[in-house]
Amino acid sequence: MEQEPAAAEEPGSPGARRRRRRRRREGRTRTVRSNLLPPPGAEDPGTSVAKGARRRCAGTQHLADNRLKTTKYTLLSFLPKNLFEQFHRLANVYFVFIALLNFVPAVNAFQPGLALAPVLFILAVTAFKDLWEDYSRHRSDHEINHLGCLVFSREEKQYVHRHWKEVRVGDFVRLRCNEIIPADILLLSSSDPDGLCHIETANLDGETNLKRRQVVRGFSELVSEFNPLTFTSVIECEKPNNDLTRFRGCIVHDSGKKAGLYKENLLLRGCTVRNTEAVVGIVIYAGHETKALLNNSGPRYKRSQLERQMNCDVLWCVLLLVCMSLFSAVGHGLWVQRYQEKKSLFDVPESDGTSLSPITAAVYSFLTMIIVLQVLIPISLYVSIEIVKVCQVHFINQDIELYDEETDSQLQCRALNITEDLGQIQYIFSDKTGTLTENKMVFRRCTVSGVEYSHDANARRLARYQEADSEEEEVVPRGGSLPQRGSSGSHQSVRIVHRSQSTRSHRRTGSRAEAKLASMLSKHTAFSSPMEKDITPDPKLLEKVSECGRCLAFARHQEHPLAHLSPELSDIFDFFIALTICNTVVVTSPDQPRQKVRVRFELKSPVKTIEDFLRRFTPSRLTSSCSSVGSVAATKSAHKAGSSFLSTLPNDGALLGLEERLGPPAPALASNGYSSGARGWAAECAAAREPQPEPEPEPEPHSEPQPQPGSGPEGELRYEAESPDEAALVYAARAYNCTLVDRLHDQVSVELPHLGRLTFELLHTLGFDSIRKRMSVVIRHPLTDEINVYTKGADSVVMDLLLPCSADDARGRHQKKIRSKTQNYLNLYAVEGLRTLCIAKRVLSKEEYACWLQSHLEAESALDNREELLFQSAMRLETNLHLLGATGIEDRLQDGVPETIAKLRQAGLQIWVLTGDKQETAINIAYACKLLDHNEEVITLNAESQEVCAALLDQCLHYVQSRSPHRAPKKTAGSLSMGFSPVYPPSTVTTAGPSLSLVIDGRSLAYALEKNLEDKFLFLAKQCRSVLCCRSTPLQKSMVVKLVRSKLKAMTLAIGDGANDVSMIQVADVGVGISGQEGMQAVMASDFAVPRFRYLERLLIVHGHWCYSRLANMVLYFFYKNTFYCGFSASAMIDQWYLIFFNLLFSSLPQLVTGVLDKDVPADVLLTEPQLYTSGQNREEYRPRTFWLNMADAAFQSLVCFFIPYLAYYDSDADVFTWGTPITAIALFTFLLHLGIETKTWTWLNWTACGFSILLFFTVALIYNASCATCYPPSNPYWTMQTLMGDPVFYLTCFMAPVAALLPRLFCKALQGSLFPTQLQLARQLAKRSPEKLSAPKGTFAQGHVPGEPRTEPSEQRSLRASGSFSQDCGSQASWHAQQPACSPEASGEPSVVDMGVPLREDTLLEGLSGQTPGASSRGQVVLEGCPGYSRRKPTSTSRAAPLSSIFSLPSFSSLSWISSLSLVSGLGSVLQFSRSGLQMGKRDGEFLASRPQPDQDLRGLSGQTTDCF
Amino acid sequence: MKRGSHDCQSRLPDNTALKQQQLPAYRLQLTATIILSGFFITGVFCLGVGVILLLSAKNIKEVEINYTEKCSDCAKLRENTANFDKECTCSIPFYLPEAMKGDVYMFYKLYGFYQNLYQYVLSRSNSQLMGIDIKDVSNCAPFKNSHNGIPIAPCGAIANSIFNDTIVLSYNLNSSMSIKVPMLRSGISWWTDKYVKFWNPSSQNLSSAFAGTAKPPSWPKPVYELDEEDPENNGFINEDFIVWMRTAAFPTFKKLYRRLSRIQHFTEGLPAGSYSFGITYNFPVTKFQGEKSVVLSTLTWSGGSSLFLGLAYTVTGALTWLAFFAMMAIHLRLKGRKTLFHQE
Repeated sequence: MEQEPAAAEEPGSPGARRRRRRRRREGRTRTVRSNLLPPPGAEDPGTSVAKGARRRCAGTQHLADNRLKTTKYTLLSFLPKNLFEQFHRLANVYFVFIALLNFVPAVNAFQPGLALAPVLFILAVTAFKDLWEDYSRHRSDHEINHLGCLVFSREEKQYVHRHWKEVRVGDFVRLRCNEIIPADILLLSSSDPDGLCHIETANLDGETNLKRRQVVRGFSELVSEFNPLTFTSVIECEKPNNDLTRFRGCIVHDSGKKAGLYKENLLLRGCTVRNTEAVVGIVIYAGHETKALLNNSGPRYKRSQLERQMNCDVLWCVLLLVCMSLFSAVGHGLWVQRYQEKKSLFDVPESDGTSLSPITAAVYSFLTMIIVLQVLIPISLYVSIEIVKVCQVHFINQDIELYDEETDSQLQCRALNITEDLGQIQYIFSDKTGTLTENKMVFRRCTVSGVEYSHDANARRLARYQEADSEEEEVVPRGGSLPQRGSSGSHQSVRIVHRSQSTRSHRRTGSRAEAKLASMLSKHTAFSSPMEKDITPDPKLLEKVSECGRCLAFARHQEHPLAHLSPELSDIFDFFIALTICNTVVVTSPDQPRQKVRVRFELKSPVKTIEDFLRRFTPSRLTSSCSSVGSVAATKSAHKAGSSFLSTLPNDGALLGLEERLGPPAPALASNGYSSGARGWAAECAAAREPQPEPEPEPEPHSEPQPQPGSGPEGELRYEAESPDEAALVYAARAYNCTLVDRLHDQVSVELPHLGRLTFELLHTLGFDSIRKRMSVVIRHPLTDEINVYTKGADSVVMDLLLPCSADDARGRHQKKIRSKTQNYLNLYAVEGLRTLCIAKRVLSKEEYACWLQSHLEAESALDNREELLFQSAMRLETNLHLLGATGIEDRLQDGVPETIAKLRQAGLQIWVLTGDKQETAINIAYACKLLDHNEEVITLNAESQEVCAALLDQCLHYVQSRSPHRAPKKTAGSLSMGFSPVYPPSTVTTAGPSLSLVIDGRSLAYALEKNLEDKFLFLAKQCRSVLCCRSTPLQKSMVVKLVRSKLKAMTLAIGDGANDVSMIQVADVGVGISGQEGMQAVMASDFAVPRFRYLERLLIVHGHWCYSRLANMVLYFFYKNTFYCGFSASAMIDQWYLIFFNLLFSSLPQLVTGVLDKDVPADVLLTEPQLYTSGQNREEYRPRTFWLNMADAAFQSLVCFFIPYLAYYDSDADVFTWGTPITAIALFTFLLHLGIETKTWTWLNWTACGFSILLFFTVALIYNASCATCYPPSNPYWTMQTLMGDPVFYLTCFMAPVAALLPRLFCKALQGSLFPTQLQLARQLAKRSPEKLSAPKGTFAQGHVPGEPRTEPSEQRSLRASGSFSQDCGSQASWHAQQPACSPEASGEPSVVDMGVPLREDTLLEGLSGQTPGASSRGQVVLEGCPGYSRRKPTSTSRAAPLSSIFSLPSFSSLSWISSLSLVSGLGSVLQFSRSGLQMGKRDGEFLASRPQPDQDLRGLSGQTTDCF
Repeated sequence: MKRGSHDCQSRLPDNTALKQQQLPAYRLQLTATIILSGFFITGVFCLGVGVILLLSAKNIKEVEINYTEKCSDCAKLRENTANFDKECTCSIPFYLPEAMKGDVYMFYKLYGFYQNLYQYVLSRSNSQLMGIDIKDVSNCAPFKNSHNGIPIAPCGAIANSIFNDTIVLSYNLNSSMSIKVPMLRSGISWWTDKYVKFWNPSSQNLSSAFAGTAKPPSWPKPVYELDEEDPENNGFINEDFIVWMRTAAFPTFKKLYRRLSRIQHFTEGLPAGSYSFGITYNFPVTKFQGEKSVVLSTLTWSGGSSLFLGLAYTVTGALTWLAFFAMMAIHLRLKGRKTLFHQE
């Protein structure tokens, strides 16, 4: 039924493809004309004809319709196509071949039909899976195809509702705000008077900022509403292609005029119309020809390493099979020869009476043996593995620990078949921005005209965010010292409601939850989390800003308002103006989603022509030669335009300059602002110097200049920026009351403290490019009427472009001093890991501007190398700059990045960071995330040329080798400890000596990656603990990955979030994309997509390990299982049914369950002991040796299983099947027991599966043996089972054989376990040993999560966790069993906190502190992460030391917590809090060197605990 | 995706034990205690069972007499197929030193007869043997039809090669007088075989039922003359035939031939004394270097006559104990060294 529509459309699709192919040969362009027009040949109008015409039109053009069809099969084509695809797998062909062999009478071993059954079963299972997938695709297609949109109908002469699938090329579609675009549409009309339309491309590339699209030139000028019926133009455009960033074509009007079409005119399918009421466009590409769908390539197929190895082993099995068959064939031949002449009674001659020749008999026997022994090749292996993988992927997707609340996304596995590779990764290549960091740029500090404003409060605020992330439950509404916290208060109640609904709430709250809520409220606005928005201004600077505003407001009417300011103040003023307007931020307001805030003044385009310029500037004092020409032109143009300019032209008012020319509303605004400013100033002069919110005189609701976002969501403006830096700077400026209120393409309005709204005329925007590394805006200052250039860019570039200052004049010296100071501060910022930007300004005289403009316009209108000319033009403008200041923007590390990196490193993974950032920033981030350590040596490779690079490399290698004796013992120790020593504390590795790190910049990297140097480079890099590649291009990133992958034969994982990481992600064995802020390209290319970097830890360490060990064991088990039969003649002693279905039915289910669910080591132990991961890296569980050992074991077991019944029934009257059935039963029991030994965790599912298997076997056997006396030739097992079940020998052998078969295995395992235990076994012991401690809290947690169960009290949980973490601490010590006494109090006293008294409390306190490392959050396991860190901090401490130290520190802490609880109750001010935090920080600096200062957190944690304790 | 977006957090995974892989699980931990005790218990059990089996196997009395060589004259005669109608008998005296108490069974045992050969096993017609279709010889190649095209009943290689020696056991009461030991020729096959799998075609008498079929080429008599005394044991349901048709698993096998009828002197079993087998030698084995013997044996509860199971149990038990002691020693030594692993 579901296939019906698919079948119906089937003939169309391939046909269309064929036609498309043909058309591609025909020409390179596509012509689209309106469907509403009668086609050239049709004369008679009328509805039927119109329809016919429509059809014909589409028919002649051979264009795809808009129907989406991603299904692979149709009802008819499913069977052949699916079979064809399945036979691509060699194994299937092989099994079918064997099954078909059964149809040859001379060699057949089984009933032919029966032999086909398993193959058919396997094929059917796979086919069913494919069918189901296809069906779900079909369903989603159907859903999409039936979305509605408005299409202009010729018959009804209006827009009518149609399904998406009915949209055709040439149709006119009308889209309203927030509608999704159904096809690629050429924009012809917009309700926006500018002819603009904003779209959001999040569905396409994940970028959430609005993109602007423009109505086709020539249509924007239309005054009346666009009427599709009058559209007679023909559109010529390029063939459908997948380039999202390019579209070229032209529209040919009836008159023969042509107009160009660009990317800006095209609305892409899948995007959403925003900010625009309605648009109309004509469909250019539809359905599968849209760019979105052409870009959509399905999931990729990667072959996992394990699978490759497995295939190799399958080949070995084939070889083994051939050998065995050959052996028995030869044996058979000899045997036949022996009896050939003797005409023995049992010899069965051919029908003509002659016996077979020995050779023929041998050949037949060989083939028959292949059939009989086919079980050696695991037929169900592939299918089972597929099933297991699907289940594993499902489980990974479902892991609640990998769910990110903030972005409401969980981990996605996009590649189905490389889950186990996650457990074998050796190298991680990581991007920096957005991967390690949050890509949330936060304004951190700035320097203006040589004075540094350190923004301490801001720093504290950021620290608190950091802390709040690690905080669990309580968010205490903070006092008024920090105004922006009000917002958290306002969200509080909402959040609590929300949390009580959520089943598992106490995971990430605090600022995270706020952020989440905010992001839910303001859906889709990028870069606007509260953390980014709420910047705490520096009081000193704030004061200066307001002073500056006051002065300006006062001096407003004078000739040169800025001249009244001191240079510093003027710099500050300009600095903030630059921050506010030197960007491309779009302002929106949240109450109407994506509705532009705008008060339309007039229709004006940016300065496009010289006339335009002149028109605007005629009134000014232009005296150059251009002016006379210009004024004429200006008058002309003004006449033509017929606008209100004419009247204002003669107005020469310099003071009111722009405002008056802005048309009616603007002056009103300005005067309002002015007056309010004046009033405000008057008021404030008397009042304290505190900035106060302006009284709001403006009538519009959206232009509130309130700096506090908490004043209500309505008053909040939202900034949509293309890059996070821009948003950060605008928010920073807003914090200083310098608010960007509105941006049009030609003007920017800024709300200033005392001046009210100022509107800057935006003359040009010279966008950012990576070569110039800066952007500029050219504006006309409303106060001075000067033309200013504000430039913002990388410090290295901007510092070189400054106006050279003369050393003799005082001013110049001052400037010089400012510059050097600024440079110092910039260096300081870089050291702090901040991203630096320099802000500079240039004042242009009108003449300069006019000259520049001329050349610029020339450049703009140039046809060839326009880019080059524009670049040069920009270069000309951005010189002789005056430095205003610099900003330091912090890109915060994501939560838990240092911990994750530490863990991954302990897990034996090498982490390389490949970033495009500059070296200093990269190094600082590396330090911040503990990638580099201060006590390790950093080798920096910065080479200017190939030779230098080679020399440097040699030098480094030499150095490394000279160190190598020093390193050697550590190495051997490491490798030894791998095999023999117990779980060693991680500290032994890290403290063994200063390790090396390598930092290399892009250019050197390019040299180092040359053929002749790459080996040296790799060798060096291998010696280093971490490698940092800065300034690397995407190509270099992928080259590095490829190099490591191919040369070191290592498993690589690449993780990144942006388009620049795509190549690297694709090259690596496992590509991980972070679904972060920078779009979806990385995710699209990846195999796994995670919301955050820290999830990588769990993904790799837990799931990777599980998947790997499960699959490895399963594969081994499969091979084991299938080597079981060693018959000795060509006749199978085991009934064909058992033989054939043994693998499929009887023994596969328990194995599947184990494969899906087995956990060799529980997750929390894996997380606390990351070094367990190395077992996967070293492929300990599945190597050739284990394979052969396993095969040998299997051979032994099969011999036992064969010979015990053989000997038991030897010399008896047992017939073939009376003897064969016990073998089958024994085999089954042995399998299950073996599986039981190998299974590490037994859940009820395992039990059920095993029970089910046994039951199934006996039921099937009984029924089968009772069903029919003669039905199953050649075997005739009637009543065999029943007879056997009455025979004690059967039971005796069934018990005996498995025991004997498994004895050696168990013995070896036990010996190995006690003599040479692997780390995994030890870890298992660890998990077993502390189950009371570990699993008890886990149990409560698990129960707590189940909806409906009463949740345990948070305090209780905390104490439980305390005990759990302590046992872990103990566990990581070398001889932890000696510590049992130390642990036991916590272990025994879990639930009753009150009874515990002092010992517990001190430990909880201690835990509270150690648990508050940033990554810790409320769940048990996650807290445990923090603990090794704690133990690492005191690597030398003995078991007793920890409690002792806590006892020592107890009094001060407890008193502090008393104070805190008191203060919280009585609501004492923040002063006390600060003093306490200071105290505590001092304390903790002494106590825990590595822990970060988190005053509030600690206090709250402590207070919570003290209240619990007393 | 699967769940509807009815919730604001639609993508929050379900927190169920199964989905979070938090199912309560028993961790199988191969600790020293478990392993050691496991080995110990297994060892004790195996040894115990082994001893019991051995003891019971000891009670089994068995006499096997290989008459391949003893009747070499007959063997030679039978090597030539032309002499098939010449009768050849041979008498083998033997002395039974101890009485065989209880049920005594007489087997014939063939060495080197590959009854499990694949083509051989296939060569039968079950539907014919069930009496459903007497003419159904489809699977019986090459013994489908006789030379003149008449279907053979019972067809196939198995039936054709039936063991056709007659063995008669006589008990020498004294030096001159011997009596025939009464033997039952029924109850030697599986009940299901006799009453389900083998059935004579329904007819007035057997010879008419088998009308239109030929005897297997190496049979001297047609199938309905297998046992002319007992109609319940004639035709396809002749128990010797049924026993033969149940193909043996091994090239050396024994098949039940007769069981002692415990009457007269033999109510207690076979008394000690001198006996002799009177054998009508029909079945040629020397041709394929096979051998044949006749076996007299008693059975125990465990059914089997061989010592093997008992031995196997004993050996396994002993090995388990050996392993147990080895591990114990290692364990104790390691415990002295105070490693992590062993500390109970």
